[in-house]
Amino acid sequence: MRHSTAIEAHHFEAMGTSCSLFAVGLSRTRLLQGEFWVRVLGARVTRFSDRSELAQLNRSEGKWVDVSAEMELLLREALRAHELSIGLVNVAVLPSMIAIGYTRSLAEGPSKVTIESARPAPVLPEVLTVGHRRARLAPGCGLDLGGLAKGWMADRLALQLGSNVLANLGGDLRACGEGPAGDGWPVGFGGSTVMLRDQGAATSSVRRRRWGDLHHLIDPRTGLPSDSGLEEVSAVAATACDAEIVAKTALLLGPGLATAYCAAHAQAWWFSP
Amino acid sequence: MRSLLLKFGATVLTLSTTVASAMYVTAHLKNPSAPLQPTVLASQSGTAGVTVTPAVRQTDVQPVTSTYAS
Repeated sequence: MRHSTAIEAHHFEAMGTSCSLFAVGLSRTRLLQGEFWVRVLGARVTRFSDRSELAQLNRSEGKWVDVSAEMELLLREALRAHELSIGLVNVAVLPSMIAIGYTRSLAEGPSKVTIESARPAPVLPEVLTVGHRRARLAPGCGLDLGGLAKGWMADRLALQLGSNVLANLGGDLRACGEGPAGDGWPVGFGGSTVMLRDQGAATSSVRRRRWGDLHHLIDPRTGLPSDSGLEEVSAVAATACDAEIVAKTALLLGPGLATAYCAAHAQAWWFSP
Repeated sequence: MRSLLLKFGATVLTLSTTVASAMYVTAHLKNPSAPLQPTVLASQSGTAGVTVTPAVRQTDVQPVTSTYAS
């Protein structure tokens, strides 16, 4: 291990959450460019703005819609997440989100709850088709890219910023390179610290973004907020996006199956009942 | 005469292959102390209830940031 070198850090609020960028050997200007990238892409993939690319797709009523290269990749990632999670990470849960009153940023508060209208989510590959720079969503369906977008963006941002970088977008983080002291990036994880090197970490929880008895983490099998017996799961995987998929899947599976799933897909994990 | 020779040859070949296979298997018993694969099966509980595989190292170093629910 070599002596620790200076870390350039930059913190900002974006996509309704706190974001942090850390780098060794990069200028502050470069990190500010990273923040700009997050804001621009975040505005395109949010469902809370009528002008976003995602909102346009959600309104398309079964027609093909032109999408950017980034949106195409993100939608393909959503399909991969659906497969990797045996259908549990399903971005087509937007109708349930709306039914539980999560129609706008929680900073503005929840809206009217119509929980009786919540339904199991459709099988994603049956309602979402992604082509070259275009996509089609079946009528009546809606997508919420949520945490998946944060993980995917953390991966891309870290890779494009440099070789020794850590990008943390609302708890979904990607560490690239050997860190400040040559032995990885020290990251808080489930009450302890782990050293990450070209790895990602994420946490899925029902303790945040909740109001009354409801919370935002929808179980696509029921269309209702998860009640699996687990309240929080953190995971380390090869990428932030994979960690997000593993953490959310484990939380939805519950304590009986989460360990086996994490053992097959994660490099480290932590549960809280 | 020729068909008899062929039958005899085939029988000898079959028997010798069977014997050779039995000898090979006996000489190459599974090693019960071989490392488990994949390595994830060697995961263990670390500090604070965290389960880690050999791909992740726990440390006492102050973290620069954390994964958290948002």
